[in-house]
Amino acid sequence: MAGRIAALASRLDQLYEFDREPVSLEKLQSGGKFAGLFAGEHVAATEFVIGAFFVLHGVTAKDLVLGLLLGNLLAVLSWTFLCAPIAVRTRLTLYWYLRKIAGPGLTVIYNIANAILYCVLAGAMIAVSATAVGIAFKVKTPSLSAVFPSSWGWVLITFALGAAFTALAILGFEKLSRFAQVCSPWIFVVFIAGALAMLPKLGVHANFDNFWEVATTKVWNGIAAAGQDKFSFWHILFFAWFCNLAMHVGLSDLALFRYAKKWTYGLYSAFGMYPGHMLAWICSGIMVAAVGREMNPGLMAFEAAGFAGVAGVLFAGWTTANPTLYRAGLALQVITPNWPRWKITLAAGTLTTIISCFPIVFMKLLDYVAIYGLVLMPIGAIVFAEHWILPLLGIEQYRAEKHNWTINWRALAVWFGTLLICFFLPIHLYFRWLPGYLIALVAYVFLQGLKKNKP
Amino acid sequence: MQRILFEVLAIISLVLCLVFPILRFLGKIEADRFKSGFLFASIAWFIFATLWATRTKKSSKT
Repeated sequence: MAGRIAALASRLDQLYEFDREPVSLEKLQSGGKFAGLFAGEHVAATEFVIGAFFVLHGVTAKDLVLGLLLGNLLAVLSWTFLCAPIAVRTRLTLYWYLRKIAGPGLTVIYNIANAILYCVLAGAMIAVSATAVGIAFKVKTPSLSAVFPSSWGWVLITFALGAAFTALAILGFEKLSRFAQVCSPWIFVVFIAGALAMLPKLGVHANFDNFWEVATTKVWNGIAAAGQDKFSFWHILFFAWFCNLAMHVGLSDLALFRYAKKWTYGLYSAFGMYPGHMLAWICSGIMVAAVGREMNPGLMAFEAAGFAGVAGVLFAGWTTANPTLYRAGLALQVITPNWPRWKITLAAGTLTTIISCFPIVFMKLLDYVAIYGLVLMPIGAIVFAEHWILPLLGIEQYRAEKHNWTINWRALAVWFGTLLICFFLPIHLYFRWLPGYLIALVAYVFLQGLKKNKP
Repeated sequence: MQRILFEVLAIISLVLCLVFPILRFLGKIEADRFKSGFLFASIAWFIFATLWATRTKKSSKT
């Protein structure tokens, strides 16, 4: 078993060989690049669903605004104080840093978990795009509580889109990435245009004098749709905070911030959180209220901005599913020996396409986002403890690397143990990651301090 | 020179994408006119922004 894990780990090392060395000083990037990257990356197809769900969950306008302001601030601070300082000190990706801490075997398990999570996320993006295509073919979007596909039409559209996205990802990932760069400012404009155009339908006057009244009575009026939990300020705050949990607290954005000149570059994430997430979620909330609170991103965008709106949903899904498919393929390469890139992308795309036809992936998107962050969060806690807390307590660092361990079993126990505890915590899913993070930190430091030099 | 021209045209197209919904919000144009105007401005954005991006790429190579 250990030999097999070591062989897998060795294959994985070869894949990531190009970024094994810390980033050199001449490759560091300016702050403007980080601002642009964050602004472009955080307006995706899923934003059409997230903002609309806040309305369906009956949040009030005041709770929404305060929750988003503070939650996004906490996300920015997490990037700035947790992720960026470790990145600029090590200049390594999470893959290589985790390898030093937890051993190559654990990085294999982490990669497989990541690949599966990426496939589900890309599946949700395909499903969102399918709602746009469904309008043209008059295919009914599944209901809010739907788990399984509701019609053959839905299955056919998701399969056709999944196949198209996968084929395009195989044919030219780089070209599509450039197309995504062209798309991103326009997709942002689609959100603003859609919301602005829908305001008169909701009764907002041209001088905005009754905007707040309409917002509190017709959009975020505090009434949850049938079968949806009622959201409070805390739900919104935590959602905005954990929406990219795997990236900031989970430290996968070490890959990005290793190119930062200073740790304060973490503050540039505000360009993704405020003009990106916050504004896009508010806009999609306005759009869903104007279409009678029907959860159908394609219909929302069509009613708001016509065919350009439909194209916005489709392109937003396509351009964000593409890098997600690519990352899933890269992560899956560990268990697919000697497969060429196209074959791996095809495998990831097939899995993603099958997932996408189950409407639960986008009808329960908010819960999935919470689970995605929760699953990877303990790894962030382990790396944070190893980097900052162990040296403070005089406990030896990087023992997996120094003693050539395949797996740091303590790290693995902390990861899975934390998830088990989180599963049984008697609080809402959105709040579980925070006590989980503290449990993982304390447990890892305790176990690492117990006995020396044994994995 | 061509790059600057495409850049300007791309930015104008994107600004137009914002002007149409503002006019719709102010009640100056009907919904159908807004939707077709927004569609044409969007198409213009994709054409000019792509040309701008490809020219930028070529000039950075040389």
